[in-house]
Amino acid sequence: MRLSRREQGKKASAQAIAVILFHVADIKFAIDAAEVDEIRNLDGLAPLSSARAHPQLTKVKYSFQRQRTMYFAVDAGLHFGTSPATPTRIMVLRKSPVAVLVDKIDRMSELPPLRPLPAAFHGQEKKWYAGIGMRNEEVIPVVNPSAFLTKAEIMVLQRMMSVEPGNQMAAGAASA
Amino acid sequence: MNLGHPESGLGREQRFVLFPLGKKRFALPAERVSELSKPDRLQTFPHTTRLLTGVLVRRGKIIPVCDLAPVLLGSESPKRKFFLIASSQLDGHWETTAIPVSGECELISGIARHSTGRLPAYVSGLLSLADEIVQIIDLEKLVAMEGKA
Repeated sequence: MRLSRREQGKKASAQAIAVILFHVADIKFAIDAAEVDEIRNLDGLAPLSSARAHPQLTKVKYSFQRQRTMYFAVDAGLHFGTSPATPTRIMVLRKSPVAVLVDKIDRMSELPPLRPLPAAFHGQEKKWYAGIGMRNEEVIPVVNPSAFLTKAEIMVLQRMMSVEPGNQMAAGAASA
Repeated sequence: MNLGHPESGLGREQRFVLFPLGKKRFALPAERVSELSKPDRLQTFPHTTRLLTGVLVRRGKIIPVCDLAPVLLGSESPKRKFFLIASSQLDGHWETTAIPVSGECELISGIARHSTGRLPAYVSGLLSLADEIVQIIDLEKLVAMEGKA
C-alpha cells in the first residue's frame, strides 16, 4: 500500500514517541513529554518533614504551591534506589499533583515505539517503567509517571499537610 | 527447536552445554542454548530483581543478563569472559537470557541422572563425566526460586 507524503508523516509521528531525557545519579531515563507540564528550578520548595513518618513516603522530600494546588516533589534517586542524587531541576507532572526531582534535564528527543520490559524483570521495575526505549543500541528506561506516587499516597500526603501547622490553607487548595 | 522441560530427558542420552563459573562447571540442556557471545556492552538501569545485572542488545533485541554465580557459587565472584545465550520460559512465554560465564563452553552428549534430595531444587539432574560430577541447571526453577527469596 502506497501512502501519501502526508500519511507517511502521520504514520511516522504515530510510531515515534516524544520524550524528555533526564539523568538521576548518572543514569539516563526518559519520560513521555506529554506527561510533563513544566520543568523548573528548585525555588519555592518547602521541606516535607512529616513524610518521614511513612516509610513508603520518605522519597517525598518537598512540597510547593503551583496554580493554587499543592504539589509533592519525589526524589527520583530515592524512588529508584540509586546512589545519592543531587537534584537541580524538578519536572512537574501533568496529570497529578506530583513533581520529580532529577539531577539534570538532558533534552527533548524522539524514541522509536517502546519495547516491553523483558519478562525476567519482575520486581518494582514493572511498575516504574512504561517500557524500554532504544536508540542506536542504547537502552533507555522510559518511566511510568503514575508510579512515582499512587493516588492513595497522594491522599495520605494531602491529609498530612492538612494537619501540619501553617498548611491548612495549602491542603485545602490541594484537595479542592 | 525442541524446548521441552530439561527434566524430561532423564535416563536417556542428551546433549548438554557445559559452562564454567569460577573453578566449577555446570550444564544446561543444549536445546536451551543458542550461542556463546563475546563480552558485550552491559547496560544497566535501576531494578529490584535479584540475579539480573542489566541487559545486552544483540541483533536489535533486548536481552536480560542473569548472573547465576551468587546462587551457584555463593560469595565467590569469578571474572566473566563470555555470555551464554539461553532460552527459558518465564510467565508462560519463552525469553532469551544472557548468562555470564567465566570461560569457553563445551558441547557434550551424556545421560542425565536423578539428583539426590540434598541438592537444590534447581538442579534437575547430574552428569557423570570422567573426573567430575556436573549439575544440570533448571534455569526456570532457579530464577523462580530467587524471585521468591
